[in-house]
Amino acid sequence: MNPVSQALILAGALLAMLAGVGLLRFSTPYARFHAAGKASPIAFLLVGAGASIELGVAATAQLVVAGVALVITLPAATHLLFRATHRTLAAPHLRQDALAYAESVASEHERQRADAPAADPDAAPRPTANTERPG
Amino acid sequence: MIIGIAISMFALTALAAIIRVVRGPHLADRVIALDVALVALMAAIATHAAETGTTTYLSIVAVVAIVGFTATVALARFIVAEHEDSDIGWPKSVAPVVASVEKEPT
Repeated sequence: MNPVSQALILAGALLAMLAGVGLLRFSTPYARFHAAGKASPIAFLLVGAGASIELGVAATAQLVVAGVALVITLPAATHLLFRATHRTLAAPHLRQDALAYAESVASEHERQRADAPAADPDAAPRPTANTERPG
Repeated sequence: MIIGIAISMFALTALAAIIRVVRGPHLADRVIALDVALVALMAAIATHAAETGTTTYLSIVAVVAIVGFTATVALARFIVAEHEDSDIGWPKSVAPVVASVEKEPT
């Protein structure tokens, strides 16, 4: 095989293994998403580049389709998982940050707007009750 | 030789992801671990195609790359909806707003 393609495939494999090690060893879900969501599409891009050197045009087209789909969709999926974790996970070791503050203010505002026409008792209070600005 | 090393690395990645699927404390951990296992599978298929020159299995790579996204999105929505104890739909923090908007006469 072409040594360039071998080097690219080996670099992609190393990066994928880094993603796996980070997924296994990091301590919080946010850190695990960072390790997995960033390293794995780049690893696949490297492997796809290495493989498309070896293969023909049709195979390269398939690899390009797969790589483009992965690069577009995997960050969006990781972002959705970040948001789901942010909304559901109680993490006392994390500081109350600006995003949580902004979300609580926005939900309070929306709740007041929703309550305004008719005082709705079912309007659920936000679970994160701490609206103090951090720091 | 180098190809064998690379495929072993992909296998180790998938193994780490599967350990995280079994152990993961949060449901989102399991979902992202499944994503990483899927990417390792795709990369291993591409490596095998580069080694042997058989391009038959490369369509699997393209299909998995497109389809794997939908499972993650559905599960991410499921995590929020399950936590807020509502039916699958708008999260409870957004639901009153949506209801008030839908109630308003246009």
